[in-house]
Amino acid sequence: MAGGSARSARPRRSATIRRLERLARHVVPHVILIAFSAAIVLPLVWVLRVALTDKLTAYKIPPEWVTPRLDNFVAIFTEYPFGTYFLNSTVVAVSATLIALPLAAGLGYAFARYNTGGMALRLFVLSSQMLPPVVLVLPLFAMFLMAGLINTWAALIFAHLTINIPFLAWILVAFFQGDVAILEQAARIDGATRLQAFVRITLPVAAPGILAAGILAFILSWNEFLFALILSGPQTNTLPVGLASMQSHRGVEIALLSAGTLVAILPVFALLPFMRRYLIKGLSLGALK
Amino acid sequence: MKRLLLAGAILLAGMGVAKAKTIHILMETVPDTRYIQQLLPEFKKETGIDVDIEAISYIDMHSKLVPQLIAPQGSYDVIVVDFYWVGEFTKAGWLMPLDDLVKRDNIDLGRYVPKLLDLVGHVDGVTYMLPFYNYSMAVIYRKDLIADPANQAAFKEKYGMELRVPQTWDEYKKQVDFFTRDTNGDGKKDFFGTVIQGQRGDCISMQWANYLYANGGEYHDKNWNPEMDSPQAVQAMKDYRMHMLNNSPPGSESYCFDEAFNVMAQGKAYSFVTFNILYAGLDDPKSSQVVGKCGITPNPGGGLNGGWGWAIPKSSPDKDAAWKFIKWVESYPIAKKRALLGGAPTQTKIFTDPDVVAKRPYYPTLQKILEGVKDFPVFTYTTEFVEETGRELNLAATGQKEIGQAMKDANEAFRKLAIKDGKLKE
Amino acid sequence: MAMTATGTVSPKAHRRSIAAQDRLFGFLISAPGLAALLLIILFPIFFTIFTSFHDYTLIHPNFETYTGLEKYSEALGEGYFRTSIWTTIRFVIASVVIEFMIGFTVALMLNTVQRFKTIYYFILLMPLLINPVVVGLTWRMLLHSELGIVNYIIGLVGIPGVNWLGDPNIAFWTVVLVDIWHQVSFMAILLLAGLSALPREPYEAARMDGASAWRCLIHITLPLMRPVITVALLLRMIFAIKTFDIVFIMTKGGPGTATDLISYYIYRSAFFGLDVAKASAMSVLLLFAVLVLTVYLYRYMKSMT
Repeated sequence: MAGGSARSARPRRSATIRRLERLARHVVPHVILIAFSAAIVLPLVWVLRVALTDKLTAYKIPPEWVTPRLDNFVAIFTEYPFGTYFLNSTVVAVSATLIALPLAAGLGYAFARYNTGGMALRLFVLSSQMLPPVVLVLPLFAMFLMAGLINTWAALIFAHLTINIPFLAWILVAFFQGDVAILEQAARIDGATRLQAFVRITLPVAAPGILAAGILAFILSWNEFLFALILSGPQTNTLPVGLASMQSHRGVEIALLSAGTLVAILPVFALLPFMRRYLIKGLSLGALK
Repeated sequence: MKRLLLAGAILLAGMGVAKAKTIHILMETVPDTRYIQQLLPEFKKETGIDVDIEAISYIDMHSKLVPQLIAPQGSYDVIVVDFYWVGEFTKAGWLMPLDDLVKRDNIDLGRYVPKLLDLVGHVDGVTYMLPFYNYSMAVIYRKDLIADPANQAAFKEKYGMELRVPQTWDEYKKQVDFFTRDTNGDGKKDFFGTVIQGQRGDCISMQWANYLYANGGEYHDKNWNPEMDSPQAVQAMKDYRMHMLNNSPPGSESYCFDEAFNVMAQGKAYSFVTFNILYAGLDDPKSSQVVGKCGITPNPGGGLNGGWGWAIPKSSPDKDAAWKFIKWVESYPIAKKRALLGGAPTQTKIFTDPDVVAKRPYYPTLQKILEGVKDFPVFTYTTEFVEETGRELNLAATGQKEIGQAMKDANEAFRKLAIKDGKLKE
Repeated sequence: MAMTATGTVSPKAHRRSIAAQDRLFGFLISAPGLAALLLIILFPIFFTIFTSFHDYTLIHPNFETYTGLEKYSEALGEGYFRTSIWTTIRFVIASVVIEFMIGFTVALMLNTVQRFKTIYYFILLMPLLINPVVVGLTWRMLLHSELGIVNYIIGLVGIPGVNWLGDPNIAFWTVVLVDIWHQVSFMAILLLAGLSALPREPYEAARMDGASAWRCLIHITLPLMRPVITVALLLRMIFAIKTFDIVFIMTKGGPGTATDLISYYIYRSAFFGLDVAKASAMSVLLLFAVLVLTVYLYRYMKSMT
């Protein structure tokens, strides 16, 4: 740090450094996200390739270029009741999510705000999910059999509620805590009832959490296998069971399975509008004030 | 006018009574399921009964079936029973005996390959099933490689014997060793003498059984004393491990039959000891590069028997319709049509029927294979037996446990299960 | 409301009645969810516990024989059962910790960027929509030691083919990696929701004081995110303990016992060994262990203020 020349050089260097820092701050997140996205997308690109060719090409090493065909996408609907699987999965997942959300929201709010039942109830609610599904499925089967619900959508929806409600309640507890309580109090002082405060203040503020919880509930239900296998019948089999049935006794029909996998990812287009809602930063307490 | 109305009313009433019945069947996903589905319109024409076939993956079949069988009335009229579960289902009393129906309708059970009838037909003298499907094991090999004069000359020079379809185990081992090569000179083996399906559990158990029989070993004596630690069994394990380490692709420790099939189908192996039904897949241009190049031959010493049978569960909602279906699907004309489409036959005459042989020239060989097969121990705990011994076999094959110790442990596990089932007196 | 003689409400009575109303409201708003849950799950839970004390098998599904704690001691006496417990612990720690680190990083990055958010989200969602059975089958294809594309690609850069599923040590990590590929988005989505719900003021204040991004992360974000992080770790841990399909499809617990997770062990006990009672006993033991773990984790996170 000697001499005037060094002092006059410093401002110029720090401007460059500041520009580099700004660049890094903008570029680094994208670099990380692109790397992450690549790790997810590249295997799926290969799945797409297999879906457009056949089993022989799937395992040919070194890989060969083959003209893509849409045969497999057609075959899954003609050789398997894929349309039925898709319909059943959609009905069950959407129903299980829409029913579970309000029920779990009430439960989670009671836990968060009023500590209803204390730690014991919270643990009890979650405890059913600490048991492996295999021990739950036999008594559930017996119950639904007695109620005449085997091979109906209702059986699966109820079974999925037992998975969704505990998890959603616990997730929503986290989103009902914090500064939201202060806003609620303000509303109460202004004359709102507890219910009104909950609906008009808490729910909107916790919207990111509710949306995330809803998406996760949908996904849990969409992917659930064991209950779907045991509790459903010919008309109510879901996508996981249907896709698993492509493991034939002559080997895995990998090309059909790949096509089916990609078709089963399609709901991501439907879920996207819900994600975009809270992509907009500003859905925070500051904005509401 | 009144008479017309009356006639109309009677007609409507009659239609109401004769509503179309539907029966439900649970099957695994195999090509046979599709062939039967294609033939269903004939059944409907004959009996007026609709058939709804639900196909699920075979590995999940047992889990799905059991609750349906325990229930007083299940969803399925007809089921398919894998030989693993025969002991379990009959011990639990879930299957309806068919002897009275067989006698009443004059079904000739002698039309079935005797080994299949014993496996998935009779249990302790009572008929519970009609054999539907066979998947006995054999040796699939590359007949084009044996026919190649260069190979023949080199083999003769090295071992002093002819290169031909393997008749003995020793001959087969030599061939496996001979064909394991590095074909592109990069120092790594890329063509393999055999493909091992060494995955723990079901896959390794079934493939290793053939090694046991080839070495003259048995699972147990006639009093159910386990013999899995006999010198023959130990030698079988040594052979198996040698093949896995030296003659099969690295990674075989985790292959089940799909992975192994693909190695064979991509033309990277000389032979594959496996289910005979995979042989047809090797002639399918959509999954194989070696179409027309493979042959099939019995495993020296006997191959492992395997199959499924049609059964009527006691929880079947409509047992009469179920029996009608089973009779129809196993009647000779239908069984023959199934075989022509590509199904796995169980009746002796089909193997030598000229129409069938014209389409599937290897069927006479397949019949020979079926005559020499041997059975796994079939008892209440067969599935558990496969699971526990499969674990020990895999531990031995992957070098995680010393072979002698692993075979002793497998033997002990078997002994405990046999005692539990009452087959072996303590 | 409790009134005094002069017609006004005493503060203590007022507070007590507010508290009572609070409790009532809490009870009422949670009742529907609780009722729905109990209606369906109460019987299975008690069935499981009841079964674990009797000789209930698939062959003889009845409660005629009372066995007390026999099934429990039988289960604990099985060496392979104890091994699978240890394998599961290692699996859960590895996958949850790594998933959290990657998931949180991704969530932070996604919260920071302005452009392409939609595309990143879209990609983030995709693995979650693939059910575990298919994830297992797809990765079995990709990781085929001889014919899989992964070994081919790494071979192009000179690395010899990896025995992904056949080497006992590698197989364990392969299963962990496949689980991470499948489930890290779960963490990311949850944590991202938590991040978007954070208030802006603390950050604005910190920025004015000249705090760096790193200090904001450590001193503002992490503490404010504590509830969401706790629940994300907890739920992911519970799910991870139940991991079943990846093992069932890819390795069947092998090679040897390298990937024999507890959920698969219990499944085999019920459906292969036909011993529902023993499977129930193992599940009850698992339940207690997880309950204890949950309470411990929860209290630990709460104490980190």
